[in-house]
Formats: sequence, C-alpha cells, structure tokens
Amino acid sequence: MKKTLIIAKKEFLDMFRDKRTLMRMILIPLLAFPLILYVITKIQTSQNEKEASKELTVGYVLNNQSPEMVERMDTSAQYVFTEYADTAQLKADILSEKINLGIWYSADFDNTYSAGKQATYGVFYRGADGEEHARFEELLAAQSSIYVQKRLSLNQLPSDYVEPFSVVSTDLSTVQEIIGKYAGGVLPYIFMAFCFMGCMLPAIDLFAGEKERGTIETLLATPVNRVHILLGKMIVVASFGLLSATIALVGLIGSVFLLGDGGELTTAIAKIITPQLVITLYALLIPIAIFFSGIMIPISVYSRSFKEAQSILTPLNMLVVLPAMVGFLPGLELNYTTAFIPIVNVVMATKAIIAGNAEIGPLLITFLSLILLSAIAVFISFKQFGKEESVLR
Amino acid sequence: MIKVENLYKSFKLNKKQQKEFKTDASETTVVNGISFTCEPGKIFSLLGPNGAGKTTTLRMLSTLIKPTSGKIEIAGFDAVSQPNEVRKSIGFLTGSTGLYERLTADEVLKYFADLNDVSKADFEARKKHYYDLLDMHDFASKRIGQLSTGMKQKVSITRTMIHNPAVVVFDEPTSGLDVITAENIIKLIRDCKTQGKTVIFSSHIMSEVDLLCDDLAIINKGNLLYKDSMANFRANMQTTSLTEEFIRIVRENNPIKS
Repeated sequence: MKKTLIIAKKEFLDMFRDKRTLMRMILIPLLAFPLILYVITKIQTSQNEKEASKELTVGYVLNNQSPEMVERMDTSAQYVFTEYADTAQLKADILSEKINLGIWYSADFDNTYSAGKQATYGVFYRGADGEEHARFEELLAAQSSIYVQKRLSLNQLPSDYVEPFSVVSTDLSTVQEIIGKYAGGVLPYIFMAFCFMGCMLPAIDLFAGEKERGTIETLLATPVNRVHILLGKMIVVASFGLLSATIALVGLIGSVFLLGDGGELTTAIAKIITPQLVITLYALLIPIAIFFSGIMIPISVYSRSFKEAQSILTPLNMLVVLPAMVGFLPGLELNYTTAFIPIVNVVMATKAIIAGNAEIGPLLITFLSLILLSAIAVFISFKQFGKEESVLR
Repeated sequence: MIKVENLYKSFKLNKKQQKEFKTDASETTVVNGISFTCEPGKIFSLLGPNGAGKTTTLRMLSTLIKPTSGKIEIAGFDAVSQPNEVRKSIGFLTGSTGLYERLTADEVLKYFADLNDVSKADFEARKKHYYDLLDMHDFASKRIGQLSTGMKQKVSITRTMIHNPAVVVFDEPTSGLDVITAENIIKLIRDCKTQGKTVIFSSHIMSEVDLLCDDLAIINKGNLLYKDSMANFRANMQTTSLTEEFIRIVRENNPIKS
C-alpha cells in the first residue's frame, strides 16, 4: 500500500504540473458553464429587448368596414398601420419583407358583429419571424376582449357572463420535485460527461504516455508489484475524473447563483443541494469513476502512443453521453429494471434523489451493480497491465 | 552474479504479424536456448546485430518479461519465482530510457529511491556521491524537460544507481548519444566494475566493447554464436579487426551448444 501511495503522489504531482491538465480538467470545467450561461443570457436578453423595441409595420385591408379597431391599435407604441386596397399587394409586401404583418376584414365584418354573431378577420404573417406574430397576437387578443365587453354591456350582461367557471388551480408538487423530474437529469449528465473527460487525459498519459516517453520499463524494473503500480495510477485517474466533474458542478451551480435573479428557482436549487444529496451522488459516482478508469486503462495500456490511445478513447465518450441523455426523457424512472443499466441507473437515481422520491431497493441495486462493474473493470485493467505483449508493445 | 541457463523466449504471432513475417507459424522464438554467466567485478558484453535478441534477453534478466523456459539467477535470486528480490538487486538503463519531464532531477531520484526502499540517509549519501561525480548540483532542482540530453543522461545514471544495485543491466546505453554524453556512461560502467558489481551491457559497437568488457557473448537470431573472454576473442581472431571478426561470426551463424 505504501508503494501505491508513493506512485499516486508522484502521478498527482506530475499531472498537476501539466498545463493541458490544468486547462482541460480545471479551467474549462470551472468556466464552461458560467461563460455559456452568461453568453446565452446576454444574447437572449438583448434579442428580447431588440424584438420588443422593434417597430412593426402592419398593412390592413378594410373591405369597406369600420376602421375602429385598426385606429385603436394604431395608437399602440411600436406599431405603424398602413392601408392597402387589396390582399394581393398586402401579401406581396409581407413576402418581400417590406412590411411585417397584415390584417384583412371580411366584407360583412361589421354586420355580423352587430348581429351578435362571430365576425371574421384574417392575419398574414411569416412563420419564420414567429416572434412578430406572437407580439401582434397579444395586441389582437386585447382588441377581442374590448369587443366582447362591448357586446356584453350592450346586452346588459355582467363581464363574467362568458366565463362560467372560475378555476382555482393549486400545484401540490414542490419546486424540488419539478426540478427533479424535468431538470434532474442535467446534474448527473454533466457530472458523468466531465468525469469521463477528466479520467481520459490521465488514463492516456499515465499508461500510453509513459510507454511513449520510455519510462515504463524503468518503473516496471523497480521492486513494486504490478498491482500496486496499477492501483497507484488508477487512484489518480479516477480522482481526476471526480475532480473534473466536481469543478464542473461548482461552475454550474455558481453560475446559477451568480446569474440567477435570486428568485424561486435559485432558492429551490439551494434547497436541493443538501449534504445528503452530495454524499449519495458521490457514493454513486466514485464507482462510476473507477469504472471509467477501468475501461480506459486497458485501452491505454494496449496503445503504443498517446495519439493512438486518444483516437480509440475519444469515440467512447458517446457510450457515456448517450445513455446519460436518457435522463432527459420524462416518464422514465428508477425502478428494478433501470437500476441494472449502467450510467442510466446513476442518472435515474440522482433524479429520484433530487425529487425526493427514491426507493431504497432500486437505489441499493444501482449502488451494488456499480461496485460490481467497477470491480470487473479493475480486474480487466489488471489482466491487461499484466500482459507483457501489451505493456512493452 | 548472473547465471543464465538454457534460456528460451517465444512470442505468439497474430495474423497481422504472420503476414508481415510471411509465415504460418503461430509463434516465433526470439531467444533460443542461450546460457552464459556474468561474474562480479567483471563487465560482460552481449553483442549482436539488430533483432538478435539482446533486448529480449536483458528484459528477461530485469524481470520485465518472463522466459518461456530456462533459468535466470540474479545475485542468488531466481528471476521467475523471486522477481521482487531480483529487482531490488538490479539497476536497469537503456539508451531509450526516458524520465519524467515535469519532475525535477531531485524529485525523480527521490521517487525511485522510495520505490526501492532506500533509507533517507543512504539516499542523501548516494545522491551526493553521484552529484559530485557527475557535476549535477547546478540542475538538481530544474525540471527534466528543461535539461539537455547530457544532463538527462546523468540523471538517468544516478536513478539507475540510487539503490546501490549489485547487478547493473545496460541495454545499448550509448545509443543515440554524442561522444561526450556517452563518455558519462563509459565512466559509470567502469565505476561499477571498480565497486565489484556485476555488469552486463548490450551493444553492436565493437570499439565500445573493446574498451570496456572482460567477457563477451555474441548472439544472432536468438542463438548463441560465441562465448569467451575478451582476451581470448582478441587472441583467436581470424580477421584483421574486431569489427570484421564480429561480422564473420555473425555471417557464419554457427550456434554453439551450452
């Protein structure tokens, strides 16, 4: 064990002095989410502001009907209304983007409305500029409401005449449950994706890299059992996976707090991240990190060079990312079946823990199956590290 | 002391290798029943052209790989059944040996001293001895990546000797080095002899062998072709130079039975 620790200590020192390590395992995970969230928020806010302040030109064809509604809408800010003689020209101008939207009245609009029936008007819009249409719809809805009230008042009816029910909706789910169900998959997904990436660089460097640099022979010629050499290196590989994932989570949570508005969501997230959640998350993720190390090390041991190992291991990323994305699907939950599927079980278990509805049985199966899986992976690594044709290839 | 008896090493061939070597055989024998003895206080040279089986033999002596059959005894320990005892007794240096570029010379030496269970006092004493001998004090705390090839070689030498091994194995130690850097290796090999250590080194450079060795063996294609003292080799030459004699023996390729 002493030799294992000597090896692990040296490898930690070696890895922490590598600029690639610091960039890929610490700096990128730490800054990725704050930067992405900051940029997205900025772009979205500025886009929304731009859209809201944009002046919309709306063409209209009255068809000899009363201009009352158009005149009222024309008083709204950021709208300009222009009259057209026919719908053909109106459509052509919208298509050529001369104007933004169009409205035309049916020939019997006024008479139908006055008769207490349903009158018709039409709207031309470009679906490609959906936000313009949405803005105009709001304006039209307000007009519709005015016409309804006018008709009710004419018939001396109360304003709630057309709303026979008053619905009192009470959401009994906690914000925690909702986040757990719909966004709870994000947390383990990020953790696993970064854990995998975090394991990859040291796994390659400590085995294929050591072969490429010609240091493996001297290490193997020391009086240290190969199991101890393997374990010392494996500790470092798995630790960097966990470190990278932890830093990514700190970055993500930190950016939610920094960029969040301090509202209900921020409070709910603060409530979710309890010591129990962190402990359970790590209880599941430590075996996953060992499992990742255990599948990467044999490949790295077999590879002749850093590049060869990297070219084999990089596509493996998909094997982790895709099952982890299952967590985004609503409806799929941790049960006695999903608990046996590696990676998927971690995502489901984490979601259940966040939502506060995890059952002990499937949770235990998840944990035990991960332990078994990581033990198998360590065994495979050991077998591969013991093969002289691989180590000295 | 190194005792090698009837040593064999075969490797399995995969389909790609079978195609490459144009053979249907499922395995290839790279060391074919060789035997020799290296004595303490003497320098033994293992000579042979590229692909002769020198590196494979030295890797078996260093316990990096296991023999298919035969016996290897290093400093009284069996290389197959007591690999850790053997590793404690050997220092291993090759021409292609690398060092950890991100560690300092001091850190590399401490690492290997710790792996070899060297006490703190012994470590400091040996480090001082080699730092003085090879003039290494100026770059002791510099990272290996910042050192010249010659400086790196000095660190490699100290790393090989830090646990004071009784047997030292050099696999083409001067390969790729300039004459000044190679001189450090020559100095080390001589120093080992003076200290009464058993030294074995592989080479295909006759001038180097002539300069250093007491006993030699020539191998080719895994077979032992010659085994005697350097003095007898010189005395019984059938050609005019050492290199020509070496080439003659390899070309005739008559394996000797141990």
